Amino acid sequence: MLGVPLALASSVLIYSGATQFAMVAMLAAGAGVVPLLLTAAVLNLRHLVLGAVLRPRLDASPSRRALLAFFLVDETFGFAVATGERAPARDVAAVTERTVLVAGIMLYAAWLIGTLVGVVGGGLAAVERVAGAVFPVLFIGLAALAARGRSHAGRALVAAALTVALGLALPDLRLLAPIVASVAVALPGRAG
Amino acid sequence: MTVITVVAIAAITYGSRAIALVLLPRPSARVDAVLARIPAPIFASLAAAMLLTGEGGFVAGPTLWAALGALVASPARSLLLCLIGGAAGYALGTLFG
Repeated sequence: MLGVPLALASSVLIYSGATQFAMVAMLAAGAGVVPLLLTAAVLNLRHLVLGAVLRPRLDASPSRRALLAFFLVDETFGFAVATGERAPARDVAAVTERTVLVAGIMLYAAWLIGTLVGVVGGGLAAVERVAGAVFPVLFIGLAALAARGRSHAGRALVAAALTVALGLALPDLRLLAPIVASVAVALPGRAG
Repeated sequence: MTVITVVAIAAITYGSRAIALVLLPRPSARVDAVLARIPAPIFASLAAAMLLTGEGGFVAGPTLWAALGALVASPARSLLLCLIGGAAGYALGTLFG
């Protein structure tokens, strides 16, 4: 569908499973450039929230944070939050930066190798079916890693329920529902 | 689909990652407290969103079973166990779904 060079280029440059899978599905449905760009923008809105959560945990200079930003994917965010919370307070910034960088580079390498294998294997239907199940499972695992105590777990369940309710009521806005739901459940509570 | 489209999507993706991480100042204590409560809900919400279709329904059986398997394993707070639970759920969903 994309062709080998564009498939490889998209993994090298975009490095986002959710965006790339959505891109392929939309191309298969015959979508044009504008819907592709709009979908990418909506899907990537979550990075604003993820970046805002990580920002207070980093002491790195702006140029180093700009480098780290390339590796800010859902998985590195989840690992960074989980490892940062287990580190002593004075080490949180260093541990968070190291985790984003090391996990990011490893995942990037795995993503490029995976793309290459996928291009060589070419359209394996079974892999395509399993890929649809991998992301929900991965996100549930990352939610479990990030949840500290019953309050966080409770908020996570409420946010998931709210997302389902929003997604069923307004299917066209379901990609925005996670942002709305997670911010809504995070707002109530004490300041510190 | 052209190289320019890929580059544009890459720019949108990187921009969304860099805006908050590079440009935001350190937040106040009140904002920081709210931000600290976001990670688990946002991942749970993303998982939930991926179980929905664009037609206002749920995705096919094995994927729901996989999510259920991961959910059952989630109290262990281990990514590996969640992946194993998801794989087990997917296998069950394929067999019986």
